[in-house]
Formats: sequence, C-alpha cells, structure tokens
Amino acid sequence: MKRYIARRLMQGAVLLCMVATIVFFLGRLTGNPVDLMLPEDATAEDRAALTQTLGLDGSVGDQFVIFVGRALHGDLGTSIRMKQPAVDAFFDRLPNTLVLIPWALLLGMVMGIPLGVVAALNRGGMLDRAAGTVAVLGVAVPSFWLGVLLIFVFSVELGWLPSGRMGGPEHFILPVITLGTFLVAGFMRITRSAMLEVMESEFVKLARIKGLSEGVVIWKHCLRNALIPVLTLWGVFVSNLITGAIVTETVFAWPGIGRLTYEAVIYRDFPLLQAVIILKSILILAINLGVDILYAYVDPRIRLA
Amino acid sequence: MMRQMPRRVMLAVALVFAAIAPLSAQDQKGTLVFAVETLSGQTLDPILEGRPGNAVYQAVMYDSLVGFNLQKGGVGPGVAERWELSPDGLAWTFFIRPGQTFHNGDKLTAHDVKFSLERQMSPGSLAAAAASMRRTIKSIEVIDDLTVKVNTNTPQIGLPAGLSRAVAPEGAIMPKAYIEKVGEEEFRKKPIGSGPWKFVRSVPGDRLEFTAVTTPHWRGRPHFKDLTILLVPEESTRVAMVRTGEAAIASIGPETMIGASRAGLEVLSVPGTMQAVFQFWGTYKPSLKDSPIAKPRVREALSLAIDRKQVIEHVMNGKARLPYPFATFGYTDYFSADRWEKWAAEAYRYDPVQAKKILAEEGYPNGFELKFANTALPGTQFMVDIGTAIADMWTKIGVKVTLKHYEWGSFAPMERGDQAGLIGWASMYRTAGRPDAPWRYNAAFSPESTQRLLGDKETCDAACEDFVKTYRALGSELDKVKRTALTDHMVDVVAKSWTVIPILEGMGYYAINTKKVGQFDPIAGRHELGDVFERIPRPEQKPWKK
Repeated sequence: MKRYIARRLMQGAVLLCMVATIVFFLGRLTGNPVDLMLPEDATAEDRAALTQTLGLDGSVGDQFVIFVGRALHGDLGTSIRMKQPAVDAFFDRLPNTLVLIPWALLLGMVMGIPLGVVAALNRGGMLDRAAGTVAVLGVAVPSFWLGVLLIFVFSVELGWLPSGRMGGPEHFILPVITLGTFLVAGFMRITRSAMLEVMESEFVKLARIKGLSEGVVIWKHCLRNALIPVLTLWGVFVSNLITGAIVTETVFAWPGIGRLTYEAVIYRDFPLLQAVIILKSILILAINLGVDILYAYVDPRIRLA
Repeated sequence: MMRQMPRRVMLAVALVFAAIAPLSAQDQKGTLVFAVETLSGQTLDPILEGRPGNAVYQAVMYDSLVGFNLQKGGVGPGVAERWELSPDGLAWTFFIRPGQTFHNGDKLTAHDVKFSLERQMSPGSLAAAAASMRRTIKSIEVIDDLTVKVNTNTPQIGLPAGLSRAVAPEGAIMPKAYIEKVGEEEFRKKPIGSGPWKFVRSVPGDRLEFTAVTTPHWRGRPHFKDLTILLVPEESTRVAMVRTGEAAIASIGPETMIGASRAGLEVLSVPGTMQAVFQFWGTYKPSLKDSPIAKPRVREALSLAIDRKQVIEHVMNGKARLPYPFATFGYTDYFSADRWEKWAAEAYRYDPVQAKKILAEEGYPNGFELKFANTALPGTQFMVDIGTAIADMWTKIGVKVTLKHYEWGSFAPMERGDQAGLIGWASMYRTAGRPDAPWRYNAAFSPESTQRLLGDKETCDAACEDFVKTYRALGSELDKVKRTALTDHMVDVVAKSWTVIPILEGMGYYAINTKKVGQFDPIAGRHELGDVFERIPRPEQKPWKK
C-alpha cells in the first residue's frame, strides 16, 4: 500500500507540473490584465508603466522562469487585482465553498440513494419511471436557471428565504438545493444500476434461499455492496463541487473559490488564476487518492490487484 | 420622593442633552444597502485601485481634490474650493476648503494634498494616470496649510479636471501623518479618509461596510447611519434582493429595466454616463486605399443606415438618447453643446435612401463586405446587442457584414502594436461620460496614441494634422472663448472624418426599493453612486413621487 501511495504521489506531482505549465501559458493567450485595469483613454505611456509595475513587461518565457522559481519556494505570486498573495486569497475563500459541499453531498445521498434503491426494486414500474424523471431533470436542468427559479419562488414570491449571500442557516438552503440537485440525480442513477447488478448476484440468491427477510437482503446485503461504486462517485462529486460551484456561487453571491476562479479569469489575474487552479488540482488529487485508498480497504480485490 | 429626584434630574439632563446633541445622533438611522456587480480589486488604498472601484466605494470615504458640479455634471468644488492658473499657464494653485478633517481627527491640509498627489505618482502606484502625472507634474509646493501649488512642465489646462472624480480617481486625498505613522500595510488594513463615510470592514468577495460621520460634511451628512456595499455579480439576484428588501438599490442593465419596473421597483436613470460608438481602424493606411471604408462618405452612409431611435427603443428600452458628437455630452467643458446637439440631430438621422445613394455614388451600388468586431467593455453587455442591431441595419442597404464577437479581454490587445487584427475592420467601442473632451480625443486620434484612428506617424493626412495642431493649441489656450472655439473645431474635424461614429448616449440604471430609500438625484455623467450615497434620504424623509 505504501508503494501504491508513493507511486500515486509521484504521478500527482508530475500532473501538477503539467497543469501549472498549461495554465501559465493558456492564461496569457487570452489577453492582458492591464487592458482591464486601465480606462479606454489611457495613454501608451500609462499602459507601459502599469505593465512594468505589474511585472508583465518581460517575455512570457522570462515570466515563466520567475514563476517556476517562486513556485518551488511556495510563492504562487500576488493577485494583480486584489493585491494580496494569491495563496492567501484562495484559502480566504476556500472555507466558504467547503461549508456548502457537505450539505450538498448529504442532500444528494439522502435523496439519491433511497431513490435509486426504490427504482431498482421497481424496475420498469411507475416508481422507476418517476425516479428516472427526477434523474433526467437533475442532470438536465441548468443550475443557473434552477438557482434563479428558487430565488424567485422562495425569496421574492414567498419571502421565506434570503436571495443570496453567506449568512445563517437559512442562507444555505437555496444554494445547497441548487448544488445538490445534480448530485441527487447522480447518486440515484449509480445506486439504481449498482443495485440491479448486485441483486442478480449469486450471494443475494443464496441469502434469499437461506430465508433472510427481503428487507435484510436489500438494505444490508445488496445496498452494502452497491455502495462501492457510489463511494467512487462520491470522490468525483466532491471534485466537481470544488471546481464547479462557479455558477451557484455567482447566482447566490457566495464568496467561495468558484467565484474566485471566475473573477481571476475575467480580470486576467494570472497569478490568482494559476494559484487557484494549482491548489484546486492539489485538493482534487488528494481527494481522489483518499477515495482510492478507502476503496482499496472496502474492496480487498482492488488491494490485491 | 428623595430617591425619585435623581431619576427626574437625570431624565431632564438626558432630554437637554438630546436637544442640544448634534443632529446627526438623532437623524442618522438604519443601513443603506447597495448591491453592485463588481467590487473590482476591493482595496481601499487609492493608489491600488482604478476608476470603477474608486467611483463605487473609495469615493464614499475619500474626498477628491476637485469634485463635481452636482447640478450640471462635470467638474466642481471638492477638497479645493477653487483653483487658479498662473498667467504663464505653468502652475495651478488650489485653495483648500478650511475646516476639513480626516476620520481620526487630523486636519486635512495642503501637506496631505501634496503627499497624496506624490503618492499617486510613486513607482508602486497602479493609478491609471501615474505615468502621465510623472511626466506632466514638475513639482508640488505647499504655500501654506490651505494653499498648494502644482507646477507643470508644460501648460496643463485640463489638470484640475484630471484631479476630479468626474474624470479620474487620482485626486483622492489621503492622510499623510497617519500613513507615515502606521505604514502602508496598516493603512490598507485600516484606511481612513476625509469623506462622509468611515471604513468599518471589508469582507473579501462579499461586501464593504462603512459608517456615517456624525459631524457636518461639505458633501452632506449621510441620512443613514451605516452603508453596506454588497458584491452580487448576478443581475437577477441583485434585482431579487431589491424586491425582497435585502438591498435598497442595485445597479442594473437596460435589459432588466422593464422587468424591474413591472415588479414595482423604481428605476433611476443617470443621464450621460457613456456613449456607444462604432469606429473604423486604420482607414488612412496605404494598404486600405481601395477599401470602401477608406472613404469618409461611405462611413457616413453607414451612419445614415442606423436607425438610432429603434436601437434606443428596443435595445435600451427607451432609456438612452441621441448622441452628441464623439465623447461630448451636455456637460462637456468649453463646448458649444446646444449647437452640436442640433448638428447631431441632423447628421445622425436615419436615412437609408440617402445611405444607398451615397454608396452608389461612391461605386458600391450593390454594397460591399464589411468586417465588424462586436465587443463590450465589462458591465456594458448591452453593447453587444447594439452591435448586432446595427450590423443587421447595414445589411438592409446591401452591406454584407462579417460579424465577429470578442470578449473585451481578447479584443483590447488587438488595438495595440500594428493592429493587424483590426486594420480594415469596424468595431464597437464606447466612451465613458467625462467633461474633458480633449483627453479622450487625444487617446483616440493622436498619431502617437494607441488607437491612432485618424493617422499614425507615417501617414497623417490633412484632417489628422489639423487635429494635432488643434489639440496642441488647446493645451496652452487660457482664454475660455478661444478654448471653446478650439474644442468645437477639434470636434468638427473628427465628426466630419466619420472615423468614430456615435450611436447613442447611454445612461446608468438602478433598481430601487422605495420603501428602503427616499427620492434622490444622481450626478449627471457619473454612473457610480460613490459620491451620491450621503445625499440619499431615508424613505420617510423624502418619499418617491408616485
């Protein structure tokens, strides 16, 4: 297992270097922050001075060498727009995103897994079709539209919940539903297909022959085994939530890292963009490694392989 | 009885104190919540922030050396109540308004003005005009506590306007003694200014909080006790927050106006905040001599093909107006606004018959192919709709338009260098509402400028040379009448070149919950409300007219 972890860490380091290089060069292909910081009537002189002040006057190659040198010492640069270390900006906002994720996951699992089980038990029936509709809607409905719709209904029309921003527990409800709807669909679909596969297994037939009650067979034996692919999906979903909360955070004015990423792109804040993507990559690699290790413990066949 | 006496005495004393206490203690109540689409860099150090951030939230806590004309728009008194130009045109003397203090109680003096201007010009400054200031300002002298003299290398008639928030943020006055005492880092964490609102805290990516000063302020003492500026990037969420009362005011675009109005919100329009234009790139280049767009009459025909009233009605929901010539407004300094308004009404009319006739006369009876780059500066997404609308109108006179959409960050770099991606193209552009026309004209038309739309150093035709001569003369003309004549001539040269053609004069738009704030007037030409918050009354003080 130690060798497995060491190998994965090595692969992760190589992957990070590749990500950092790609982000560095791709970011610079999309424009220049100076253009977005200066008014349209700025003189060439002012433009040149600001470019120099921001350290963008050298060649891209020179800038890359400086970036790599600093990155090796843990310095990912200073945000051009926010004028604070990019790493600090990321970690200032990370907790705001992380507080949403567990709730969205919980919603996804609490709703999605039982729905998947029910759908599998009623394969082809009305309940299965209803659950399938939920799954399709959850995947197909754009989170932007859903968020705006929820605000309109629950904030504007009913006046029950705030429209957005971070705050007390009531502020979490609409963003969590918006984030979690996709997860409900995902968990439901994977649970259903895993359950169907497990229900056909020999050991389930044996359990029934042994005379175990249907409830024990389904909820203890079938679901337990069906949860292995769900666990894998859990890692994928957490990664998606870390990288993909941009829309939800924008709609609900939630100051998390999704919106930070969006702002870094829009303002061509190269140091911030690089830092955000590198740090997100580290997070995702860590989560995936954690899930893989957990997976190996849950399913001994993987460890042996 | 005896035990009750002290209570009565205390009550009486309290009542007396309440009566003689500053009015502010009684009449400043509640929190004014404003939702805005961007907080830009969200920094409170004026040398680290550009114009939008300065105008939205730095303006609330910093005063500017030169302020606004609140009635007409444009430049007016600020920290300096008046200013004078020396007879040789090489020095401006600013007379500081007496009795101003920073939020820590320090007096605001000429030393702070000198310190602030020098800080804006310092090597670490990210101010947009830092380099220009370094070049033009020779020295700054403190004459006495309330008088400061700015010596320039050449006559700089437009210097006061450049130090007014009506034009640029570089006039923000910072506290010299405080910054020298605590250092820049601490100042950035706990900034103080002299404006009507004091800084409370900044929550990155979320909000800025301020509290009102309780003493009288020359900009007006705030009617609310606190001010919160919320960052809400999504427009529909901002409108929802105003509807629910979570915010009192939100910035919106023209496309949202009707919806906000129907939802029962007041929609406030700020006149003259921008001009949407289209412009032609490199028309003077020898390589384009056979191109249709090299001909001014063809460019004029393209203008005549635009039904500006339709664009205003359908894209801007009626909340815009026919424009003055490029980068001029009703409040433009030294400019014959009435005369030009009449000229523009005729010149910018919709006349597709005449447009087709001109094209035929110029040898294009069947139209021609036009490459058109459609783009919008951040926060002006409606510009893309305007660009699409006018491209459609051109097709009606036979012009085959190749329309390409660019995000602003990708478009802006193409303006620089050899402009290879833009030469021979037309594009959308805009100009912000400012009273100082020559500054903007220089940025667009000087052969040495980035855009150089009339000519470059190699190719500068009669119109280009006329512009250069006029602009130079403007730089040193002290006489107001002659200066107005020169500005009018500069506008005339550019207008008749048909190189940059205004489409409409836009406005700034706000959705307002009338139960949260009373009726107020914005400043003409100033989209942002940073200099307006202190004058916004509470709803019971001045209800909105039905």
